[in-house]
Amino acid sequence: MTATIADLDRARDIALDLSGWGRRFTFYQPRNFAFWGYLVLVGTGIFISVSRITRAFNAYGQAIALAVTLFAIYAALFWWFTQYVDHYAKLPAKLMVVAFLWGGFAATWTMAANANSTILALYAKAFGQSWALNWGAGLAAPFTEEPAKGSGLLLLIALAPRLVRTAFDGFILGAFIGLGFQIVEDIAYAMTSAGSQFGANQIGASIDTIVLRMVSGVAAHIVYSAIFCAGLIYLLGRPAEPRRVGRGLLLVTTPILLHGIWDSLGAIAGASALKLVGLSVAVVVVALVIVVRVYESTVPREREFMRDVMTPEVARHVISAAELGAMVGNRKARKAYRRTGRNRRECSRARYVLNAAHDLADALAAARGADTDRVRFARAEIGRIRAGVPTQW
Amino acid sequence: MPDAETDKSSAASVPRFEPDQGWVPADQRLFGLDRRTIGPTLTVFVLVIVMSVVLPVVNATVPYSDIVRAGDVVELDGDVTFVPEAGWGITSGVRAGDAPLSGEYPSTATVEDGEVKFTVQTAPFDGDANKLLDQIETTSDALNRGRGVHVTGEHTSIVTDQGKQGATARVTGPQTGGVMAAFVFDGRGVEAVATGPSDTGPDTTAAIFRMIRSIGHPGEGKQ
Repeated sequence: MTATIADLDRARDIALDLSGWGRRFTFYQPRNFAFWGYLVLVGTGIFISVSRITRAFNAYGQAIALAVTLFAIYAALFWWFTQYVDHYAKLPAKLMVVAFLWGGFAATWTMAANANSTILALYAKAFGQSWALNWGAGLAAPFTEEPAKGSGLLLLIALAPRLVRTAFDGFILGAFIGLGFQIVEDIAYAMTSAGSQFGANQIGASIDTIVLRMVSGVAAHIVYSAIFCAGLIYLLGRPAEPRRVGRGLLLVTTPILLHGIWDSLGAIAGASALKLVGLSVAVVVVALVIVVRVYESTVPREREFMRDVMTPEVARHVISAAELGAMVGNRKARKAYRRTGRNRRECSRARYVLNAAHDLADALAAARGADTDRVRFARAEIGRIRAGVPTQW
Repeated sequence: MPDAETDKSSAASVPRFEPDQGWVPADQRLFGLDRRTIGPTLTVFVLVIVMSVVLPVVNATVPYSDIVRAGDVVELDGDVTFVPEAGWGITSGVRAGDAPLSGEYPSTATVEDGEVKFTVQTAPFDGDANKLLDQIETTSDALNRGRGVHVTGEHTSIVTDQGKQGATARVTGPQTGGVMAAFVFDGRGVEAVATGPSDTGPDTTAAIFRMIRSIGHPGEGKQ
């Protein structure tokens, strides 16, 4: 039995409804309790953060300026990369900003900072100062910071229930929450280092910390929160992601374990610097392997949505089956498709056609599958590029 | 595969209606709020209260019991040591010989006796004791801007039991007073600060000066 275009359009509507792709996000929702909760908790964190920086700026202004500048560039790179990997049913940028601010201010200053110092003090009282120095950080931070960051996803789901639909959405939002946490924490560490030599040589004292945090940050909070939040979606279940408790628990506990091991590396490695470097590299590699596996296990749902949204366009001969295959495939599939061109010009054109097809997918999602002027224009653009006609815009 | 020429059906030209994000179904309203958003928000607030209120309260009710015994020596990063007063409590830092597994002693240590607190901090420093005390004063003034604990009065000299000369100055703050001492051992600065109520008795003051004079470094011998 062959499907009619009407059948394919219906499948597209279902995919768009389920995924939430293309829906707009409105932050100001006075009738949403999560909106007020978010405002109070992020507002408190911003107040604490600004108070600390303002107080310290007088003494460590140079180091703070350096740290803020370098970490802003670092954040921009990670922001670009995280958005880049979200190239199927994309989430609105505004929602990512809301996630970043939660991680940067509420999860850090309003929640985890208090709990971390308190738990460390309790460990010291219970097991002694030396034990607390060895194992305190590894047995405090993972249990405070991961839930603090992950709880932001609960508010984001309440703020945008029609948008946060899949484990992949959790993965992406978790990465942005983690990015916010990482950047603000890094700046705080740099500030502490600036004062570590009595306020003298503040640039020299903080630069080592900045470099170390940048290198180790590649597989730290961004990765931990992405995995944790994907797991949280599996635990809760969403309209487009059935509840899978076992997988959810595994993904929620994995970053806690990774974080704990990372924070205990000094004690595990002992006095051997070589062992410390080796173990650090090993933990980073393991964290990156795990996050890639989680990405690969969550992204197929998004690719299905893309397939459902764009299959009617194949039926309408707007794009070819090969182009659809590249759109729903991984990086290798896209590369293979681009290389089907006989020469460089054709390869470039194939890439432009794919980009225009993604524009059409976004336009269709924004129009909820309707045949609007914007959608017709996006279709015409694919035809124009395929024919090699220069743009008039 | 459907035939586009024969299949005339096409998608609607107007998007289907969807209520805006702020709309709340009539059966989900509670005092005008969307009742579905209350549970998740309260869950987050419970977590916040546990982290920011419950844990600090529990910590405040648990007394520290790491009491200094006669003969204990506290060691800091850079082989700096001092002898804490017997009976005081160690609230941060470790004893000599009880280094963390990483082999690196912490750079700060604090001992307390009631409201009196004695903290020693070490870090690399290029200069002499007077220069270090000036640096500490500059940083402290920049941080506190005239508020909180700050250095007052002239620098005076102090000599440790090892014979190392350092500099001291009085510190004052709201309802607190105390003393600060600075030493530099081979490029390693040591700051010792004792603060407590303004009416601290002579016995405690003597104990503080004993701890300051006990600050030592392996490279320093009696002169």
